[in-house]
Amino acid sequence: MGGLPLTGPGEAPAGAWRDIMPFLSPSLKELIAGVPPGYLAQLEEIRLRRDKPLMLGMAGRDFFVRKGGGLETRPEGGYIVEAGDLEKVIQNISGHSIYALEEELRNGYITLPGGHRVGLTGKAVLAGGRVKTLKHFSGLNIRVCREIKGIADRVIKHLIDYKADNVYHTVIFSPPRCGKTTLLRDLVRLISNGVPGLNFPGRTVGVVDERSEIAGCHRGVPQMDVGVRTDVLDGCPKAQGMMMLLRAMSPDIIVTDEIGKMEDVQALEEVFNAGVRVIVTIHGSSLQELVNRPALKYLLQLNIIQRFVLLGRSRGVGTVEKILSGNDLPRAGVKMCSN
Amino acid sequence: MLKLIGGLLVVSATGLAGWAVARVYARRPVELRLFISALQMLETEITYVATPLPDALDRVAQQVEFPVALFFRRVARELGQQAGCSAREVWNRALEWYFPKSALVRNDLGILRGLGNNIGISDRDDQGKHLRLAAEQLKMALAAAEESASKNVKMWNYIGLLGGLIIVLALY
Repeated sequence: MGGLPLTGPGEAPAGAWRDIMPFLSPSLKELIAGVPPGYLAQLEEIRLRRDKPLMLGMAGRDFFVRKGGGLETRPEGGYIVEAGDLEKVIQNISGHSIYALEEELRNGYITLPGGHRVGLTGKAVLAGGRVKTLKHFSGLNIRVCREIKGIADRVIKHLIDYKADNVYHTVIFSPPRCGKTTLLRDLVRLISNGVPGLNFPGRTVGVVDERSEIAGCHRGVPQMDVGVRTDVLDGCPKAQGMMMLLRAMSPDIIVTDEIGKMEDVQALEEVFNAGVRVIVTIHGSSLQELVNRPALKYLLQLNIIQRFVLLGRSRGVGTVEKILSGNDLPRAGVKMCSN
Repeated sequence: MLKLIGGLLVVSATGLAGWAVARVYARRPVELRLFISALQMLETEITYVATPLPDALDRVAQQVEFPVALFFRRVARELGQQAGCSAREVWNRALEWYFPKSALVRNDLGILRGLGNNIGISDRDDQGKHLRLAAEQLKMALAAAEESASKNVKMWNYIGLLGGLIIVLALY
């Protein structure tokens, strides 16, 4: 089961950049509106750094915008971002209420309506050795959210457990930036809505979204389509969040991102014991690499994970390289016992 | 008879003029008090509830009385429109618009403008400090305004009536 290219069926919405326009300062708005629409459709990020040229990341490359409009690959002659631009953009994204975003500033990012992310840098204000908030903002990175519906269509059929009328315990793993979270989000949507073509009726999904990446919540409300039977705990630490969902929302499946710490694995164990299925993502390029990390080794030794999905970029971001079942583990060369 | 009617007209005209000037003096403390209580409401909204600024201003506008409500409603509405302006610009524009309608003096306007430079752009503690500072400054302005009101309201009422009488007597 290898080598499914995933980039085909789903495309990111071309008009996503329009969501971001209302948050820009008038002068930036004018400049960006002057960029050819064909480029804007591929807009990935807008970088604002104080007293540095405005930079747009499009189609995997960096562009600078000239003062009169028009794109440039070299920074000379580019529009220089002024303090006033940054101030206005920050005020707009915070709804003129920096004071209401203490938690977000501590984490260093804000989620906008539409699920777009704004990363911030500036001077950190410390209290008791921990970051309390940021001030004197100097840099902003507005990342356009790329919700790609349909990329899980070809994976979901390998994950359905018809005997239990549920999904298998699944681990999605890959090196960074191979589309784990994007695939996970689309899986959540499919599992939650149900897949009529596969005779799968849809189950209640609980999502612990510690970094607001799966559902892209803005003020607690998911901005991306995560399905009708999905409950999202936004910004909650994974281990605590899984317990809260388990007790409070009686989910059939619990989904979370970036498992790695021992406490996460312990919480997962509780979830297994409650008979709830689990789909998680993990950083790592091979099963052997996962086994080398003590917490994950423990997880694999429980021998309860039934499906492993390895993503890669061999045919573009989000290519499914391999789908293994739990029984394949010894054959895949993973030593399951420590002795 | 005609003279009597003319005299009455002159006296009532100057009396009204005096009363109008006196009213400005009488209105200023009332408006300052309204602003002070509005800022206190805003402080609660911001420091305890962390309500986003447009919503917080809207709530204040609903609770505070005319004419101060006009100012807060305008700021809330303009901020809600997401035109890309900073809160300071919107606040100052609304102040310039409100000032000719109000009984405030330039000094009061300066206090409010100072608050506008800082509104919404820092953490809760800091916002609380700025709001309390502005409220304190307005209270000082209020004390001065009350004092000048107690002097000037009566004075201008008398000046109006008596001035009219003097004109009438001189012409008679």
